[in-house]
Amino acid sequence: MPNRSAAPPFTAEATIGPFYPGAFLAHIPQDLWTVAPLVAHHPAGQPIVFVARFVDSLKRPVPSLVVEFWQANAYGRYRHPLDRSDAPLDPQFDGFARVRTSDDGVARLVTIKPGAHPVNSDGGGGGAIRAPHLRLTIFASGIDRLVTQVFFDDEPLNQSDPLLQSIADARVRDRLIARRQTESGEDDAIEYQLAIVLRGDDETPFFDDWQPSGGGPSGA
Amino acid sequence: MSPGRFLPVVVNDRESERRTPAKPLYRIPDAARDPFTPCPPLPPLRAGENDLTRLAPGRPQAGGEAIAITGRVLDEDLQPVRRTLIEVWGANARGRYSHVIDAGRNDAPLDPNFYGFGRLLTDDDGRYHLRTIKPGAYIARKDIGWWRPPHVHFSIVGSGVRLVTQMYFPEEPLNEKDYIFLIVPETDRSRVIGQPIASADGDRSFRFDIVIRGRCQTPPDLD
Repeated sequence: MPNRSAAPPFTAEATIGPFYPGAFLAHIPQDLWTVAPLVAHHPAGQPIVFVARFVDSLKRPVPSLVVEFWQANAYGRYRHPLDRSDAPLDPQFDGFARVRTSDDGVARLVTIKPGAHPVNSDGGGGGAIRAPHLRLTIFASGIDRLVTQVFFDDEPLNQSDPLLQSIADARVRDRLIARRQTESGEDDAIEYQLAIVLRGDDETPFFDDWQPSGGGPSGA
Repeated sequence: MSPGRFLPVVVNDRESERRTPAKPLYRIPDAARDPFTPCPPLPPLRAGENDLTRLAPGRPQAGGEAIAITGRVLDEDLQPVRRTLIEVWGANARGRYSHVIDAGRNDAPLDPNFYGFGRLLTDDDGRYHLRTIKPGAYIARKDIGWWRPPHVHFSIVGSGVRLVTQMYFPEEPLNEKDYIFLIVPETDRSRVIGQPIASADGDRSFRFDIVIRGRCQTPPDLD
């Protein structure tokens, strides 16, 4: 292991700006139910649509925001070389998508409900169980990269999730819990909704994934 | 737990003022910390995607000065970030983006031979090489005379690392007046300025090395 007492010469992050090319969106999956037109494709698990509405400090929608979603498959396994769990990979599910918000600040993630999973022991988690959640990386004009995680209001494991419960204030925790909608949409999918407030009194909690030394790298 | 970092607001940038979280970031507790930054399978690239100076191989060259940018992408252990996607985009020589959002706010002309975006992969040593047109400066806010200096946007995604940054050019007087450049801590500013190097192929060339927090993981399609 290289000596890490001196901070490496990290490159500063910057805003994505207003002009992120739409072509880049077309190159990365935006819909995890579909790989290509006319292909029968059925990832395991409960189909869901997560509808996130992004607003600023004036409660105005944030258009052209780019959000990357990352998640475990229905069995709680990530397609990631460091996930050594016994849960199976799903050959039809990679669990990564990138979408852009519409003019009304809404991003729709068409996916499946992720499974619960133990924390990878390399991370020092000691076997705690993570409730089903989506991991979000957010880019927009005016801000640098933001990361957070979104939970589901019909999951009892939320009560013991180590990340969610690390937030002391229940009102703040609530801002990370998407609400199941009774009138659900396409096919047999369940829709969940959540407002993500970038700044303001009811601001969404975002996480610091620049780890102190020794903790190893992390994504929120 | 003590709070995490506090994100500064870019002064005079209304979007930054309205979108930057006001509270410090929350720390990730050890019990929830895992090493998963996305490591998604990435799509194959076409030939010539790393040459932004032409719409496609064999097509006419865009206006302005063709330049080369080259460097290495390294992780927090200074190990190469291998075979990982770099997305790059910028304005044309007159300071105009091809993005439709720029149509309403920029009087500078489009260049029919320049889209201003490209993609490339790092090699097994984390090296990359691209060609583009040196971007022009453009005015960000007319009411206060804020000009953005010439800059090229970089996004690196995959292999367990994620970074979005902007590369600036040396000896540009606008750098020191640009609020987005000035939010970079003073000690880190030299690292976001491309360094002139000897040209290999006739283009004026710049070296831009990138160091990202996180550890490069072997992409799943190479595992």
